Amino acid sequence: MLTARRRAVATAVLTAGALLLTSCGDSDNGSSGDGKTLKLWHYEGPNSAMGQAWNEAIKEFKATHPGVKVEFEEKGFEQIQKTAPMVLNSSDAPDVMEYLKGNASAGLLSKQGLLTDLTQEATSRGWDKKLSASVRTVSLYDTNGIMGSGKWYGVPNYAEYTMVYYNKDLFKKYGIAEPKTFDELTAAMDKFVQNKITPLANAGAEYPAQQYLYQLALSKADRAWVDSFQLYKGKNDFHDPAWTYAADTFADWVKKGYIAKTSSSTKAEDAGVSFIQGKSPILFSGSWWYGRFIDEVKFDWGTFLWPGSNLSPGSGGNIWVVPKGAKNKELAYDFIDITMSKKIQNLLGNKGGVPVAADASAITDPKAKTLIDNFNTLSQRDGLAFYPDWPVPGYYDVLVSQTQKLITDSEKPDGYLDALQDAYDKGVPKQ
Amino acid sequence: MSTALRRYPVLIALCVAALFMIVPFLIVALNAVKSPAEYSQNGPLSIPDGLYVDGLKDFWERVDYSQKLFNSLLISGFVAILAVALSVLNAYAIGIGRVRGRTWVLAFFVLANLLPQEALVYPIYYLSKEAGLYDTRLSVIIVFTVIQAAFGTYLLSSVLGEFPREIIEAARIDGANKWQILWRIVVPVSRPTLGVLAVFFFIWTWNEFLLPLVMLISNDNQTVSVALGVLQGQRLMDATMTNAAALLGVLPAIVFFLLFQRTLTRGIAVGAVK
Repeated sequence: MLTARRRAVATAVLTAGALLLTSCGDSDNGSSGDGKTLKLWHYEGPNSAMGQAWNEAIKEFKATHPGVKVEFEEKGFEQIQKTAPMVLNSSDAPDVMEYLKGNASAGLLSKQGLLTDLTQEATSRGWDKKLSASVRTVSLYDTNGIMGSGKWYGVPNYAEYTMVYYNKDLFKKYGIAEPKTFDELTAAMDKFVQNKITPLANAGAEYPAQQYLYQLALSKADRAWVDSFQLYKGKNDFHDPAWTYAADTFADWVKKGYIAKTSSSTKAEDAGVSFIQGKSPILFSGSWWYGRFIDEVKFDWGTFLWPGSNLSPGSGGNIWVVPKGAKNKELAYDFIDITMSKKIQNLLGNKGGVPVAADASAITDPKAKTLIDNFNTLSQRDGLAFYPDWPVPGYYDVLVSQTQKLITDSEKPDGYLDALQDAYDKGVPKQ
Repeated sequence: MSTALRRYPVLIALCVAALFMIVPFLIVALNAVKSPAEYSQNGPLSIPDGLYVDGLKDFWERVDYSQKLFNSLLISGFVAILAVALSVLNAYAIGIGRVRGRTWVLAFFVLANLLPQEALVYPIYYLSKEAGLYDTRLSVIIVFTVIQAAFGTYLLSSVLGEFPREIIEAARIDGANKWQILWRIVVPVSRPTLGVLAVFFFIWTWNEFLLPLVMLISNDNQTVSVALGVLQGQRLMDATMTNAAALLGVLPAIVFFLLFQRTLTRGIAVGAVK
């Protein structure tokens, strides 16, 4: 015999159980291969240039595909990063998804056979013509999952590159002109050091430090050197002139006070914030800061490409991939095509992103114009040299910890280069 | 005098410890109500000029927070109830029934507890995919019920091992069968302990990140802690919104804790008398 109270509890448990079962059931239906739903995932914030442009692309897609439902979900970067191989191997895979470019990410997935070969679409829809050679590198992966050649597995919608951000007000205050050459840059930094200001914003615990170093090496390098380092076309000696110059100069800059010794443990966010607060007059970093600086920086600022170097770190941005198990591939191709259209690309440019196929004349915002002009200059001289951590899995952590030692002077440039060589040789794919 | 002398150092140590516990929370609360521009200009420790709740509001709307809250409540609630039930049944057999080989069974449970979750990810993914449960809340409930029950069984077994045999003997003489002994005698007597376990299971499950991250793919199924991950971008983070999200993420757990705080203290006090 149940008492009234117990009966109530039992009913509650039962209804909750039923609720649970029904709520679990509804994830099964949803998109099926009927050409009526496009399941789309990306991880750009709604206020970012990409987020806004792609939002517009979704609207455009709905207009050109009446009756098709777009199931868009904004994902966390970490979730996509950690779970992509599992999701793509299940029946819950989206139709089109933003994914990280590079050998260790998209390359790996293509090697595992989880991505659709887009070569056919890329040529028939003309995506191959729209992307410049060094941007296109992140689209192509060979059978070993190494980028640069082989089949199309992804389409980048935007690009990124590194540049020098500088605080015009501070430069004016100390009577320094915008540096046009490398010597003028060092002279400017000397001037700041004399005035007890550390000129360069740096972050030893994350990517900025290694990008300074890589940029220094690139200023003594050419495309063949980059291909050898990034695409394993040739032998890599880290004691060659370019790397040696980079390590020596970097160590020298710490000694001269261009880079603070205390920056060995700071994060990229700290470096960015110290520029925003006007504490550091110069920050060398990527275009991903651009939108935020437009919003938050209160002083007059400008940018220029690293002087005296044809090459700079940068690449095509993250790519659209179509999973092998996608149910509505045709819709996915249509969507990618829309994001490559002039209209969306121009919007992306005007919102502070770096479009890959925009109309230069349609970019009206002056700050956005500089950003894109600089990119075009760099891209036209084939100057995108990717990032130093790309060639080998786990190289990012090696670079961070070794460069930290260089900043704190617990390792000499020579030993530093030995360590880089070691890790590189161990991780480089054997063919 | 001497008691006061002895008491003050303890008091001061406690205050310092409390301060250490509260400061991070205060910083989160402080930055949650700051505008991004203000954060960039004055850094994380400055006092906000005014109340800026857009971060909280934007985050709520951006991730459909009420849905996540419902999911988290559903998952944690079911896990707490089911895991306690499962632990009681197991512990009844091991602690009071004294089945043969119970030491080994307990050792097995402890081992299962020591297993890092990273090692479980792939097998669980594979099994749930085969069973058609991938990307369902049910899969996470099952997994965590088992994980939490492993700990619960271990703890409850030792508690029930000390259960006064006289009471059970008396009940048996009165003609109670095993089922009645469990429901009429053992469960009511150890209710405070079970309450504590349920609260712990709830909070632990609430804070779980890795398995829900892997198992719950659709945004509609995600839990609060997974939703917080949306804000960590590839290269940039939105510091103020992350703080706002963190505040929203811990509040329910704190509220739950305050609600059941009495159960907790009672459970601990019961343990102390024994």
